[in-house]
Amino acid sequence: MIRRYGRLLALFAAVETQYELEYRVNLVFNVLQQLVVTGTSLGAVLILFSYTTTMNGWSVAEMLILIGTYYIVQGVADSTVGPSVERLLEHIRLGTLDFTLLKPANSQFLVTMRHFKVRNLFGVLTGLIIIGIGLVQLNAALSPLQVLSFILALACGLGLVYCLLHCLATLAFWFVRVENLLVIYGAFVDAARFPVDIYPGWLRLTLSSIAPIGIAVTVPAEAMAGKLDLLGLGAILVATILAWTFTSWFWKFGLRSYTGASA
Amino acid sequence: MIATYRTLLVGQFQQASQYRVSMFLYLLFSLIRPIIFLAAWSAVAAARGGAVGGFTVADFAGYYVCMGLVLHFTTAWNAYEFEFEVAQGRLSPKLLRPLHPLHYSVVENLTWKAFTAFGLFPALVVIAITFHARFETQWWNVALFVPSLLLGAALRFFLGWVVAAAAFWTTRVNAVVTLFDRTAFIFAGQIAPLALMPGILQTLSYVLPFGYWIGVPTDILRGGASLEQSLVWMAGQVAWLIASYALFQIVWRAGVREYSAAGA
Repeated sequence: MIRRYGRLLALFAAVETQYELEYRVNLVFNVLQQLVVTGTSLGAVLILFSYTTTMNGWSVAEMLILIGTYYIVQGVADSTVGPSVERLLEHIRLGTLDFTLLKPANSQFLVTMRHFKVRNLFGVLTGLIIIGIGLVQLNAALSPLQVLSFILALACGLGLVYCLLHCLATLAFWFVRVENLLVIYGAFVDAARFPVDIYPGWLRLTLSSIAPIGIAVTVPAEAMAGKLDLLGLGAILVATILAWTFTSWFWKFGLRSYTGASA
Repeated sequence: MIATYRTLLVGQFQQASQYRVSMFLYLLFSLIRPIIFLAAWSAVAAARGGAVGGFTVADFAGYYVCMGLVLHFTTAWNAYEFEFEVAQGRLSPKLLRPLHPLHYSVVENLTWKAFTAFGLFPALVVIAITFHARFETQWWNVALFVPSLLLGAALRFFLGWVVAAAAFWTTRVNAVVTLFDRTAFIFAGQIAPLALMPGILQTLSYVLPFGYWIGVPTDILRGGASLEQSLVWMAGQVAWLIASYALFQIVWRAGVREYSAAGA
């Protein structure tokens, strides 16, 4: 079962990579664009830190780790689930979801893991480099436990973003007219560039609950910076499992409202 | 011309009222960035014992509430659709009409702003209350703000079209637009009030056109500057507006000649 889905995933990734490689100049421009975006957002943070040494308990080095984590989360989301659920919206609107539903594989897997934008993985690379710079600046011994909890928290964070994107796309079963619900994600994702604890109550709550992009970035960064306790790690783990369970249920529930192309 | 505009406006309003929800979703973009940087600067001010370079948390709140308003009413995204129109060859029928394609964008832009203003104002009031915003606005600030806002909006509109006209020559407007957007992100007064930009960056903010788009109207409304200073800034706005309009005329004329109507 897992091997079969692994093979499918590898196949999808290979096909999409080949497709992307047809447009090599686009690839170069994409990398340049991402460098500009990363550079300017780093610049913005450095301007803030030209007036202070800590922001709500986050030093520059820790902020760099956070920004790096942000680009990893965004890079993974924009190269895998993001493009797939964007197509899902189209499929629901046009009724072409029929073809996907008829395929002999899990429909949730097929709609969220089918389309890739491999070029956005470059964001993950920049994220790793920025985390590296942050760690050097932090100049503290890195325990294996820290790395382990970072990996675990990051996996949870990615899971949460996956759930959010999939749930937003699933809403399209009822709100076909709403042009693009993913806009909500696009607007809130910007807020994850800073630790969630700097925001006022209602926004912090939003970024930790119904739009969990905030904790998806902040918690792994805390883990890497050695600021996360076991309780925090446990909390994000439980939250991810709950979100995952809800998302699969919500998808099946939504499918029942789908009427197909000709109906 | 007035009759033309009236017809276009009515049509656009009818079209827009079909997509009310998605219009309000896009409003999130006007609001989220001011909130992010307001929260960030509040954290910096707190770390420094309450104020950064004369700005307290209340002043930052006043600045970013005004900025949200300015950002919303001066924004222009129409140019982004232009690449698509050129690439698809959909510009061709528009060029044949007796009306310059620009006018459709103006109407679209105005309709969206008018529609979403109903959502914007309550949201800004909530932010102002949450952060205990302080304004030093006097009567002349409001009087100057209106023309300053219009100048900022016109400036942004033409700058957007200059950038978009790149589509006549290259199919990679996206990259050009990103560069423009990110430069504006740094210099327009979004990440920081222009007064807090360090050293050379501040000088650049007042040399480049971006500060005259957002930073200047915001500071005028907030009451952050003297009357003389405000008037000098507005002169800068006028100068950049004339420059960007001239640039637009040149680029557009040259571009239309270059345009080969892909797909035609």
